[in-house]
Amino acid sequence: MKILVAIKQVPERDAQIHVASDGRWIDESDLNYTINEPDAYALEEALQLKEKNGSGEVVVVCAGPERVTSTLREALAKGADRAIHIEADDLGERDTLGVAQILADAVKAEAPDLILTGLQSDDLGLGQTGVVLAELLGMPHATIIMQVEVTGSGLKVKRELEDGWFQHVEMPLPALLTIQSGGNKLRYATLMGIKKAKTKETKTVQVTAAAAGPAIRLERVYLPEKQKKTEMLTGTPTEVAAKIVEKLKFEVRVI
Amino acid sequence: MVDGLLVAAVGTRYAGSMLFSELQVSATLAEPEHFSWLEVGLLLACIVASGALFFWRFGPILRNIFNSKKDADFSLHPIGRRVRDFVWEVLCQAKVIKQRPLPGLAHAFVFWGFLAFALVSLNHLANGVRLGFLSPASYIGGFYFLFAAAWALLVAVSIFGLFVRRFFVRPVWLGKKISYESGFIAFLIFLLMVTYLAAFFVDEGSGAVKALWWTHTLALLVFLPLIPHTKHLHLVLSPLTIFLKRDGFSKIPPLAGDEDFGLVAGRDVTQLISLQAYSCVECGRCTEHCPASTTGKALNPKEIILGMRSYLNEFGPASDSPLLVEAAEESPDNPPAKYMSMEAVFECTTCGSCEYQCPVGIQHVPIIIGLRRGVTNTGAWEDTYGTKLFLALEKNGNALGLSATERDKFIQKQGFPIFDGTQEYCLWLGCMGGYDPKGREIIADFARVMNYLGTTFGVLKKEKCTGDPARRLGNDLVFQTMAEFGLKTLETAKVQKIVAICPHCVRTISNDWREYGIAPEIEHHSEFMARYKDRLPKQSSGESIVYHDPCYLGRYQDIYEEPREIVAMAGKLVEAPRSHERSFCCGAGGGLAFLGEEKGERVSHVRAAELAGTGAQVVGTACPFCNTMFRDALSSVSEAPPQLLDIAQLTARALPAVVQPETPVQ
Repeated sequence: MKILVAIKQVPERDAQIHVASDGRWIDESDLNYTINEPDAYALEEALQLKEKNGSGEVVVVCAGPERVTSTLREALAKGADRAIHIEADDLGERDTLGVAQILADAVKAEAPDLILTGLQSDDLGLGQTGVVLAELLGMPHATIIMQVEVTGSGLKVKRELEDGWFQHVEMPLPALLTIQSGGNKLRYATLMGIKKAKTKETKTVQVTAAAAGPAIRLERVYLPEKQKKTEMLTGTPTEVAAKIVEKLKFEVRVI
Repeated sequence: MVDGLLVAAVGTRYAGSMLFSELQVSATLAEPEHFSWLEVGLLLACIVASGALFFWRFGPILRNIFNSKKDADFSLHPIGRRVRDFVWEVLCQAKVIKQRPLPGLAHAFVFWGFLAFALVSLNHLANGVRLGFLSPASYIGGFYFLFAAAWALLVAVSIFGLFVRRFFVRPVWLGKKISYESGFIAFLIFLLMVTYLAAFFVDEGSGAVKALWWTHTLALLVFLPLIPHTKHLHLVLSPLTIFLKRDGFSKIPPLAGDEDFGLVAGRDVTQLISLQAYSCVECGRCTEHCPASTTGKALNPKEIILGMRSYLNEFGPASDSPLLVEAAEESPDNPPAKYMSMEAVFECTTCGSCEYQCPVGIQHVPIIIGLRRGVTNTGAWEDTYGTKLFLALEKNGNALGLSATERDKFIQKQGFPIFDGTQEYCLWLGCMGGYDPKGREIIADFARVMNYLGTTFGVLKKEKCTGDPARRLGNDLVFQTMAEFGLKTLETAKVQKIVAICPHCVRTISNDWREYGIAPEIEHHSEFMARYKDRLPKQSSGESIVYHDPCYLGRYQDIYEEPREIVAMAGKLVEAPRSHERSFCCGAGGGLAFLGEEKGERVSHVRAAELAGTGAQVVGTACPFCNTMFRDALSSVSEAPPQLLDIAQLTARALPAVVQPETPVQ
């Protein structure tokens, strides 16, 4: 079974983020980067599936500038077999569709049986890239996955819902899953892994012209401005609803 | 001088004659006059047989040692140290006697007697082939034989005493199983001495002389092939083992090449390790002082070495069979049925008591760390806490897994200047000093001491762990990352001198980092404060303070007196029952502070009880890890536990209160 894992390199979790001087993005100069944590769990799930199966291939793909190759190398050191680096310096100007498109283009040729991504990214937290990627590739998908089981006819997965509820879904292959953190224990990169990683293939691809160009333009990035203005509305639901409509009409003026 | 010797020889002979004339016996050794050619032939045949049997057994062992992987970093130089160790440890039997005085002395007598007897035995056999070269009638011969006789008496008494100790007193550390072979060899040695001494009391020319001679000879020739069997091989090997030891205590060899991940299988075992494995005398001194073995854990350093030996005997030095099994197995055999276990190997605190006092030069710590490397560098070791530690070091750069901003906040709050090349010292916080509440107190107090002394210092803007826990747990990838980062940071900041409160940081930076570069000179805060002790205030409270020697400061760096000088300034110094190089570990080393719960008794509790048991009012420490371990342990073992203070805290409490420098407004 060929499993493809889409990973993202993000700034370290406890990095101090400062808005850039032009106000349009963050100041990246002093940041350290690392693998997006949910993607690390996706990688771990892929490696465990391969180990349980006894055979197969795990391919990691990551889009970004030159610096993402270190995260790819780490993934190879942990046990992935091959890596694909999509060279892209403009990720900040791409929306989810834009990113999913360049991923889809790069992996179409691979024709994987299963694609795993993290549930969301630590920096933007949109939680959409995996889903959109599945749509572009015409694959069924399931999100917030805690457990994966390969059955004779496809997959049986366990989804995390709210309030302690879970959902089991049976689905065919090929498919895409977005993986929730905490399902497995992460492994550490070993010396043996790093040495083996040197011999594994990392392919660099360019963004194809067919993939849509930047679709968004960031106007401004700023820290939330605090304004202390909270008003509690009291009364029966009907009364409160009426008050809200009045405020939306005449104070906020959006309806 | 020769005249003096002659006088002594004649004098002894005369005295001997005088003494023995009372008993109407000769003061000279009676030797057989005539050997028939049949007897000569028989003797030669016996010698050949004995030699053949000896090599039949010794050959495979020699082969195993020579066929082992070469030690990539071995160098005969500096040879002076090797010669010095050889003279002190082999010829003077220093470690043998010092660590176990009475049995040690008895063993020393047996050894020295062996040496004294060299010419006797040679002459004895030479006689048998009609080539005897020492005559009892001559002055030199006569003197020498009496000299040897004195030794024979000493040896006979000593070996008898040791026999009684091993078979009747039965000390715990010698193991439960009785070795009949040891008993037989003790008997042979005794017989050799008795047959030699008896020859002084029989008449020349009597049949008894021949009988004694043959008994002595056969005892000798039966002894020889027994030597390569188990521990008696140390007779041949241990002088070599001591001479060829790795230079440096707990010296971890660098990995050699891309295929080397540590001690994974037989093919990774090096010549030094093989030599050491075959030299083990099973005396159990390592076990006796091991904090793990004495608190009911699976780890037994002796069993690790014997396990290595058994592995080599069964699988050989080219085998691919893994050295470690996962879980410890009980075995009635000595050594264990399934050699060494991962469970045991990860119970080692790397305190070094085993290696420090091994009388035959075995270096346990590099072997244990090598075994850990074999399973950590290959990912075979799957431990929740170990993984958490490695990930924390990878992600956050400190062993506690906290955000680096926590350290920044601490520095800001304390108002520490950032090192910018203008200050004299770089104060290395370390993981404990930067992130642990108690460690931070020690740093704050030490900073006060430095401010009081007017020493300029700064802290690094960004500091990661030295990699010590990863190093001791066998993760060379993480260690390399930490070491290279540290070296680069220090170089960029142009640091010339470092002072640290943690012996692990000091040892790792000054010693282990050498694999990747040379760090600036670093000293422990005890060395720093001791140097300025005349300028620090003396306290007159007379409080009793028991000082605990940290493993990584004492045995690892031979720093014993400086911390004591500081303690003596703060109160009355009290020694723990086990102190200096015999200090008992707090249990945190070897990365164990970060691993899960211990089995058996807790090492920290045992030591805390020992320290509290001295009745001292204060426990003085010089390592933040020891401090942390005793913090909980002391209150568990004592109703009214002594106060726990680092030497920096003991010193700072006498200083006037210092006004904190203003923190710059952001």
